[in-house]
Amino acid sequence: MIINKKNKLILNILLFLAFATIIILLDTNKIGDPYIKRVLNLSAIYAIVSVSMNLVNGFTGLFSLGQAGFMAIGAYTVAIFTVPLADRAKIFYITPQNPILAQIELPFVIALILGGLLAALVAILIGMPVLRLKSDYLAIATLGFSEIIRIVFTNTKSITNGALGIKSIPQMPTMWVFFGVALLAIFIIWLLINSSYGRAFKAIREDEVAAEAMGINLFKHKVMSFSIGAFFAGIGGGLLATLLATVNPNQFYFTFTYNFLLIIVLGGMGSLSGTIIASFVVTVGLELLRFFDSPLTLFGVNIPLFRPGLRMVIFSLLLMVLVLFFRNGLLGQKELSWKVICDWFNRKKRKKPAEGGRA
Amino acid sequence: MKRKLSLFICILMLLSLITACGGSQDSSATADEDVIKIGVFEPLTGMNGGGGLQELGGIEYANKIYPEVLGKKIELFVHDNKSDQGEATTVVTRLVEQDKVVAIIGSYGSAVSIAAGDIIRNAQIPTMAASATNPMVTQGNDFYFRACFLDPFQGEVMANYAIEQGAKTAAVIMQNGDDYSVGLGNFFINAFKELTGDDNSIVDISEFQLNEADFNAILTNIKAKNPDVIFAPSAATTAPLIIKQARDLGVESLIMGGDTWENPAVIDVAGADAEGIVLSTFFDENDPATEEARRFVEGYKEELAGSEPIIPAVAALGYDAYILLRDAIERAGSTDGVAIRDALRETKDFEGVTGIINFTEEGDADKNIAVIKTVENGQFVYIDTVEVK
Repeated sequence: MIINKKNKLILNILLFLAFATIIILLDTNKIGDPYIKRVLNLSAIYAIVSVSMNLVNGFTGLFSLGQAGFMAIGAYTVAIFTVPLADRAKIFYITPQNPILAQIELPFVIALILGGLLAALVAILIGMPVLRLKSDYLAIATLGFSEIIRIVFTNTKSITNGALGIKSIPQMPTMWVFFGVALLAIFIIWLLINSSYGRAFKAIREDEVAAEAMGINLFKHKVMSFSIGAFFAGIGGGLLATLLATVNPNQFYFTFTYNFLLIIVLGGMGSLSGTIIASFVVTVGLELLRFFDSPLTLFGVNIPLFRPGLRMVIFSLLLMVLVLFFRNGLLGQKELSWKVICDWFNRKKRKKPAEGGRA
Repeated sequence: MKRKLSLFICILMLLSLITACGGSQDSSATADEDVIKIGVFEPLTGMNGGGGLQELGGIEYANKIYPEVLGKKIELFVHDNKSDQGEATTVVTRLVEQDKVVAIIGSYGSAVSIAAGDIIRNAQIPTMAASATNPMVTQGNDFYFRACFLDPFQGEVMANYAIEQGAKTAAVIMQNGDDYSVGLGNFFINAFKELTGDDNSIVDISEFQLNEADFNAILTNIKAKNPDVIFAPSAATTAPLIIKQARDLGVESLIMGGDTWENPAVIDVAGADAEGIVLSTFFDENDPATEEARRFVEGYKEELAGSEPIIPAVAALGYDAYILLRDAIERAGSTDGVAIRDALRETKDFEGVTGIINFTEEGDADKNIAVIKTVENGQFVYIDTVEVK
C-alpha cells in the first residue's frame, strides 16, 4: 500500500472508530468486566503522565523527576473540591477542614482543570530557579521538590487531612473520562511537539549552546515545557484520584515517579507512540504476570518458586532483556506511523504489495 | 540474530499470556459449585510486606483447620497489593470480577483497605479487615467489617493505664505522615485530657519524619518538661531508637507504645533500655482469652516451628477474620453477599482467638479487652488484660 494523505486520513478515522467502538462496548458492559476496565483506565492515566514526562525528559532533554509532586497537586485539588459536603466532617475527624474550603464543592471537570493549572503554576514558580540547573542537579532538585510537596500535604492537616488521606472522592461512570482526556492530552502534546516550539525543545535537547546561538530563548522554552508537562501530570493525578476514590500523601512518595521513568525509558525517550505503548504494556503486563504469584501445581507437584513476589522478579528480568536488546527503548526517537507499519508490512509480504489497504 | 531474539521474547511473552489465561480458566472451571471462594488481599511485597505475610500465615492456618463450610471446601484466592493503593483497587476488582469470590479478607495497612472500600461496597461483597485500625475503613461502608479494635479504643486503653499508674502529665511523639501513628496519638491525647480533666496535662506533642533516626532534639525538649509518661506510637523500626535515645539522655518517664511494638526487633535493638516499656496488643499467647485461643496457640506454634519467636498478633487477627467469615457464611446458609453481611451483623459473642467478638453498627469488632505487656529480662511479659466498658 502506498501512503498518501488520503489513505492516511482514512486509516486514522478507521483507527479512531475501532478505538471508540471498543470503549463503547466496554462502557456498556458488552465485553470485558470492571477489572479489565480498571486496568485500562489506569493505563490511560499512566499514558497521560508518561507522555507529559516525556515532553520534559525526552523532547526537551531536561532530566526532571518531579512528576509525583505535580500529580499530588492535581490529585489533592480534585479530592478537596469534589468530595460531597456531607461526607467531609466524617473524613476530617481529627483536624476539622478549613471553614472556607469546607463550603466549596466544585464539579469534577472544573476541579480537574484547576488541579492542572495549579500544578503548572507551581511548576513555573519552581522552574524559574531550578531550571538554571543541568542534568543530574536538575534531577535532584526536582526530586527534592516533589518530596517537599508531599511533606507539605502531610502537614497542612486542615486542608488535606494530613496522613489520614481523603476518601469518598466521587467516581466517574464512564471510561471516556479517562480515555477522552488521554486522547486530548496526547493530541495537544503531539501538536506542540510538531510546532515551532516543539522544534525549539528538540534543539535544546540536542545542544543548548547551538540552540541559543540560533536565537532560541532557552529559559522561556524550558519553563514552558516544564509547566506544560506539570499541567498534564496534574490532570493525570486528578484522574487517578477519581479512579481510586482516595488520596493519601504516601501514595506520592518519590518512588512513584520511577514508574513513569520506567515507562518512558522503555518506550523510548522522545517517542510519543512508544510511551503510550509502554504505558499499556507495563500496566497490563504487570497484571498478566500475576499468574506467577499464585502457587502452581504441575502434574501433582507443587512448584516451589511460584509464590508472591515472583511476579516482580519475572518483570524485572523481562525489563533487563528489553533494555539489553532495545537500548533506546522500544521505539527510540522514532514514532509509530502508518508509514512505518506499511514499510514493515511490505517487507514481509513483498509479493502482493498493492493489496491490504483496500479493506 | 537480534531479530530472532526479539521474536523469541515476543513468543515467550505471548506464551506466558496464554498460560496465564489458561491458569485462570482452570481455577474457574473447578470452582463452579463445589468450592466456596474467599479472596485475600494483603501486602506481600513492598513497605508492609512483612506484616502482610504474618497476617496471611494466620489466615492460611485457619483455612487448614477449618477447610469447609456448608459442606463445601473453602478455596483461598490470595493476591498481593504491593502496599500500594492503586494496586489494591485493581486486586480487589479482580477478586470480585474474575475470581468471583463470595467474601474477602484484608488488608494489613489501613490506607489500602480504605482505597478498596468503595469497590467492595458497590460489589456488595462482605469483607473482613484483620488488623486495619483506622476508623475510616468501615465508616459508611455496610460491607466492610473488621476483627481488630480501633485506634480510639487503643488510645483510651493506654490513657487509662497511664492514669492508673498515677501519671498526671504526658508527652506524645508521633510519626508525621503515618496514619496509624497520628491517629493513635491523637486519640490518646483526647482520652488523656478527658481523664485528667486538664487541657495542660499533655505537656508536649512532637512529630518526626519517616526514616528519621535522631530523636535527640525531640527528647531533650520532652526531658525539660519532665512528663510522667511518653506515648510514642510508631513502627517497630523506629521504636527502639526512641527508647534507646530517651534512656541515654536520662529520661526516666514511663515509655509506652501501641501494638506495633510487640516485635522482637524492639528488644533486640534497644537491648537493656527496653526494660519496662509498656505496650498494648490484641492478644497474648501466654494468656489465651478463649478455648479457641488455646487451641490456636498450641497448633500455630507447631505450624511456625520456631520461624517466629512469638505468635504475631496480626496472625491471630487473620485467623479470627477467617473464622468470623466462615461462621457467618455457615449461619447465612448461602453465599449471597447481603445474606452474609446480615449474618455477620448478627454475630453474637463469637469466640475468637483475640477475645469475645461482637460487631458495632459500623461493623467494627466491639472488643472489650486489650492486653498490656511490658518487657522484663529481654522478654515480652504479660501485665494485665484491660477491660474497658
